[in-house]
Amino acid sequence: MHNTPDIESERAMKEEISIYIHIPFCESKCCYCAFNSFCATKEEQDEYINLLLGEIAKRSKAAVGKVVKSIYIGGGTPSVLDEVQFAKIAHAIFDNFDVYDNAEFTVEANPNSITEEKLACWKSLRVNRISIGVQSLNDRSLKKIGRLHTKQMALEKIKLVRKTFDNVSCDLIVGLEGDNGKTLSGYAKTLLSLGIKHISCYLLEVYDNVPLGTMVKNGKYIPLSDERTIAAFEKLSNYLQDNGMTRYEISNFAFPGYESRHNLNYWQRGEYLGFGISAHSFVDGRRTENAATISDYAKGKITEEILSPREIDEEIIMLGLRCNLGFDITQLQVIDLQKNAFFKDYLQQGILQQQGNLVKLNPMFYRISNTIISNLF
Amino acid sequence: MKDLKHVRNFCIIAHIDHGKSTLADRLIEMTGTVSKRDMQDQILDSMDLEREKGITIKLAPTRLIYDYEGEEYVLNLIDTPGHVDFSYEVSRSLAACEGALLLVDASQGVEAQTLANAYLAIDNNLEIVPVINKIDLPSARVEEVKAEIEEVLGLDAANCPCVSAKEGINIDQVLKAIIEKIPSPKGDAKEPLKALIFDSHYDNFKGAICLIRVFDGQVKAGDKILMMQTGKVFDVTEVGIFVPSTKEAPLLSAGDVGYIAASIKTISDVKVGDTVTLAENSVKAALPGYKEVQPVVFCGIFTVDGAKYGELKDALEKLKLNDASLQFMPEVSSALGFGFRCGFLGLLHLEIITERLEREFDLDIITTAPSVSYKVHKTSGEVLEVSNPSNLPPQVEISYIEEPIVKTSIFTPPEYVGAIMELCQDKRGIYKDMQYLDKKRVELTYIMPLGEIIYDFFDSLKSRTKGYASFDYEFSGFERSELVKVDLLLNGEKCDALSLIVHKDKAYTRGRELTERLKKIIPRQLFEVPIQACIGGKIIARETISAMRKDVLAKCYGGDITRKRKLLEKQKEGKKRMRKIGSVEIPSEAFMSILKLDDGK
Repeated sequence: MHNTPDIESERAMKEEISIYIHIPFCESKCCYCAFNSFCATKEEQDEYINLLLGEIAKRSKAAVGKVVKSIYIGGGTPSVLDEVQFAKIAHAIFDNFDVYDNAEFTVEANPNSITEEKLACWKSLRVNRISIGVQSLNDRSLKKIGRLHTKQMALEKIKLVRKTFDNVSCDLIVGLEGDNGKTLSGYAKTLLSLGIKHISCYLLEVYDNVPLGTMVKNGKYIPLSDERTIAAFEKLSNYLQDNGMTRYEISNFAFPGYESRHNLNYWQRGEYLGFGISAHSFVDGRRTENAATISDYAKGKITEEILSPREIDEEIIMLGLRCNLGFDITQLQVIDLQKNAFFKDYLQQGILQQQGNLVKLNPMFYRISNTIISNLF
Repeated sequence: MKDLKHVRNFCIIAHIDHGKSTLADRLIEMTGTVSKRDMQDQILDSMDLEREKGITIKLAPTRLIYDYEGEEYVLNLIDTPGHVDFSYEVSRSLAACEGALLLVDASQGVEAQTLANAYLAIDNNLEIVPVINKIDLPSARVEEVKAEIEEVLGLDAANCPCVSAKEGINIDQVLKAIIEKIPSPKGDAKEPLKALIFDSHYDNFKGAICLIRVFDGQVKAGDKILMMQTGKVFDVTEVGIFVPSTKEAPLLSAGDVGYIAASIKTISDVKVGDTVTLAENSVKAALPGYKEVQPVVFCGIFTVDGAKYGELKDALEKLKLNDASLQFMPEVSSALGFGFRCGFLGLLHLEIITERLEREFDLDIITTAPSVSYKVHKTSGEVLEVSNPSNLPPQVEISYIEEPIVKTSIFTPPEYVGAIMELCQDKRGIYKDMQYLDKKRVELTYIMPLGEIIYDFFDSLKSRTKGYASFDYEFSGFERSELVKVDLLLNGEKCDALSLIVHKDKAYTRGRELTERLKKIIPRQLFEVPIQACIGGKIIARETISAMRKDVLAKCYGGDITRKRKLLEKQKEGKKRMRKIGSVEIPSEAFMSILKLDDGK
C-alpha cells in the first residue's frame, strides 16, 4: 500500500494518470439515487461493454507515455457484471495502458451481488480494493430507501470480501430517517470490527426528481433535519477519528496508508481518463465529459471545457480545501487571496489555517465549506 | 425673417396618468412632424424608464408645423413631467412658454397635481387652455369635470376642447385652441441676444447641449456666447431645433425654442435657468431664471464593488447635467466605504436616479434608507443641518432638533376620508381643512412631518384608497420635534448605514420592526449574529440570526469537478449584492428596506 502522496511528490510524478470506468447498471434503482444508472438485460450490458472496449482502445492514445496509478470501476453497480464481462474490461485496460504493478484498483460492489466467484475473479485481475455500498446497518432504513440487502447480508458479504481483500471501504449515508450520531457510530463500530480500512460518509441529498423526493414531499419519508444531520455526522466523525482513522477529505475516513489514491487524484488535480456514459476526464488541462445516453455515447459525443486561469485557481482552492492537505497558495495565478476580506477574516477566526504556503479548512467548518470556498472565488 | 405672430410656445400640464404624453403623440402625428412609420408610442418619453413607468421625467421639446386657415404656424411643444417630485421641471418648461394646455381626465377630474400645476402656470402668467381628455371612456363625466375646473381652478371651461388622445378624437380642436387662445411670443430679433436655458443634457460628441428659449435677438454657429450667471464664454458650434430629434438650423431667433452646442466640456458650466447672451453685444439684465430647487430627500449611494467609486462619481456628474436638482457630496461610511450623500426632490426621483445608475451606467449600487434634512441646535448655539443620521451629534450636545414640515393636500373620493385621516394621524399629521369639491371629491389638508411622508406614506395611501387618492405637498418650514437616533448593532458593531432618526414615541416600535425585518432579510451566517437596536447605549430590541448549519457538496460524482466548481461560482454570483460588514454579510437591499417596514404585516 502506498502512503498518501503529498502535493510535492504528486507534482514530481506528473506523468501518472488514473482511469475511471463507469458501469451504469443496477439490479434496482434506489429511491435517493440521482446518478446515471439503470437496470439492463445481459444483452444490453454486453452491447455497452463493447462500446466501452472501443472507447478504451480509441482514447488510450491520450495516455501514451503516462503510467496508470489507479483504476476505479464505479457506477451504478459494477458488481452486477459477471466474471466474463468484468474480465473483458480489465483486460482492455491492461492491454491498452501501462499500469503500475502496485496500482490501486478499486471495484464498487453492492452486498447482494457479491459472490465468492466474482471476488476470486477480481483478485486474479489485480483488483486490490473493494468499495461496498453498505449505506446503513438498519433493516428498516435499508428497505425504505430501496436497498436490496439487509444488515445480515451486508455483514456476511463484508466478511466474505475481507477473506480475499485487505483494503475494503464501506459507504454510509448520514441523514437517513431514524438515524442519529449514536446509531451511526454503532454501524461504524461494527464495520471497524470487521476490519474495514476506509469509510466514506455521504450526506443524504434529496432531489425533487427522484422517488425519495416525492416521498419526502408526501410526508412518507422524514430525513433528518440539517441540524440533526450535522450533529450526527460530527458524532460519527469523532468516533472514527477516536478509533484511529483520519478524515483526509470532507467525506472520507481511512486508517493511515489506506486513503483512496484514486479519489486523492481528483482532489489534487491529477490527470484521469473516464470511460463510459457520463464519465469525466481531465487530461492536458482539458476537462471533458462523455454523453449521458448510450445512443449519444455510441456516437462519440463529448463536451469539452478549457479552463481559464481563474477557473484553474478556483479548482485549486475548491479541491484543496476539501482535503486535510489543503492547497499551496503559491499555485494560484490569478486570485489574490491577500486582497480578499473573507480570507483574512477566516484566518483570524480560525476557519482557515495557514502553515507556510499551505492553506487548509478547519474540519469543524467542512459542513459549510460551500459558503467559505465560494467567498474565496 | 420669421413672423412671430405665427409662433406659439406651449406646454402640457396634467396630473400623472391623465394622458399628457399620448396627447403629445397625437399632436405630433396630426401635424405630420413624425411619419406614421417612425411613430412609436409616447415618442417624447425617450428614456426606457419613462416608457416603462408610464411617466415623463425629462422635458422633451418638439417643433410642430400646422396649417391653420391657410397660414403656416410653428408650434413649439414642451412636454412636462406630471409627478409631484418633478414640479420643478414643470416650472422650467413654463418659463419658456406663453401658454399651457391643462389636461384633465374626464373620469378622474381635478387631481392634486392638476391643481398644483395650474397654480404654477398662473404664477408664471401663462394663458391656460383646459382640455378634457379620455371622453371615450364609459366613465367619462365631461360636464361635471368642466364644472370642477371652473369651481376649483376658476378657469373658463365652457368651450374647452373635449378629446380622446388615445382615439384621436377632436385633436384639431386642440390645435385650434393653441393658435387662437395662446398669445404669440413677444420679442425682438434685432435686440441683443437674450435666451433662457431651460434644460441641458450631455452629448458625448458635442459636449453639453443647452435647450434654450430665445426671448430677444438671435444666435448662430460661430457666435461667441456668454453665460450670464457663470460668466463663461463659449464659441457656438451648432444651433438647431427639435423635430423631435435634433436638426441643425442656420440660426435661432426671438420666439424660437431650440438648442445650442458650444463644445462645453465641463458639465457645471451649464446652469439650467441661466441666461445666454452674446459676449460682445450682451444684454444688461438677465432673465429672472428659476428659484433654485432644494432637495428634500437624502440617501447615501455606494457601489457594491468599492473600487468603482470613481465610476459612480462620473455617472452622478453626467446625470447632474441633465438634472440640476440632483445634489451629491462625498460621504464615508464605516460600513459601506466611500460613496455619496445625494439629495433628491422626492422618493420617485431617488428611485429613478438609482435605476438610471444601474441601467445606464451598469453600476451595482447600494442605497441607504432615505432621510430628510434636520436642523440640529447644539447646546453651544451652533446649528447643523443633518441629512445623514450617523452625523447626528451625541445626545448631550443637542439642545433641540427641528424637522421639515410640509402642507399636504390629498384629493380623494369621500368614502376613503376615514382611512386617510387615520393614516395621517398615524403619521403625526395635524388636520387643517376638509373641502368637498363636489359630491365625489374631497380635498383634505394636513400639516405633516416630511420624514413621515418619505417613510411609506405614498404606498400606504395607495393601498388604503385602492389608488383613488392623489396627493401633493409643499414645504412649509421647520418645527421643533422630539427626535432620537436609533442605531443598529450587528454582532455588537454599530452599522452606521442602518441608523435612523425617528420621533421618540415611535422609536421602540421602529427598532423592533427593524430588527425583525433584518432578521428576515439577512441570511444565516457562519456564526450566530445578534441584531440589536439601541438609543444611545440602551438596547431597545434584539433578534438573533442563527448560524448556518449545512452547506456542503459531499458526494464526488466520478470526477465531475466542473459541476462542483460551477455550483460554487453560482453561489458566489448570487452573493454579488451582499455587503460584508465586519464579519456579517448583508444583502444590499437591507439598507433600503428600513423604509418598507410595513411589508408582510
